[in-house]
Amino acid sequence: MGISIERKFTEQIRPSRAVFLKWPYGHPLGEPGAVRQQRAVMEQAFRLLETATEPGIIVDLPFAWRRQAYE
Amino acid sequence: MSRLSNRLIARVFTAFPWLARRAAASVVPMSYETTPWTPLKKPLSECRVSLATTAGVHMRGESPFNMADTTGDPTFRVIPAAATTGEIMITHDYYDHRDADRDVNVVFPLDRLREFAAGGRVGGVASRHYGFMGHILENQIDRFVDREIPRVAAMMKDDGVDVALITPG
Repeated sequence: MGISIERKFTEQIRPSRAVFLKWPYGHPLGEPGAVRQQRAVMEQAFRLLETATEPGIIVDLPFAWRRQAYE
Repeated sequence: MSRLSNRLIARVFTAFPWLARRAAASVVPMSYETTPWTPLKKPLSECRVSLATTAGVHMRGESPFNMADTTGDPTFRVIPAAATTGEIMITHDYYDHRDADRDVNVVFPLDRLREFAAGGRVGGVASRHYGFMGHILENQIDRFVDREIPRVAAMMKDDGVDVALITPG
């Protein structure tokens, strides 16, 4: 299960499952100290793990960089 | 000097992500024709999870990744489950890790994984986690794929790992 911030590379490597965030390099889980944000990304990764029924799915997460509220 | 210029380029790429993506477009990374598949065999609440990252994390005091070789360092470092974030550091000149230096969970979410395990969302935290330095080129790729990755896979198997969560830098 992978978290991707460079979709092109992920498409070529073809991992079994990945979630993609269009976020800056060095920030696959988000911002420092942003516990809810980091949890939200991991939760989405876990959900894909639970729901994926075929290999190669890349889910584009809808989280906007620095403009997203997390519960 | 070249280490300094690599770090400066990394900072520019973080400040201007579109520039990084344009640069990445010219890179031809490894590619595969097929996708591996192992279905999840039990509820996540019963699964043991291990982290692996290419963000260059390792324990303080351990030998850092080799930045002198421009083709990268294909070796890995083990992070024990009990490691505190203060005991973990990053050696990697090819991305801007100043934010990850402040909170390593940004690239290596060990604290978050412990919380998910404590809350029962995942079954447990594996005893060992893995740091790689994700700038591996040319002849180092074969060593990475043929020697280092199988070792990590075997260690995960020995530890009864059900799920590997892989994060970039």
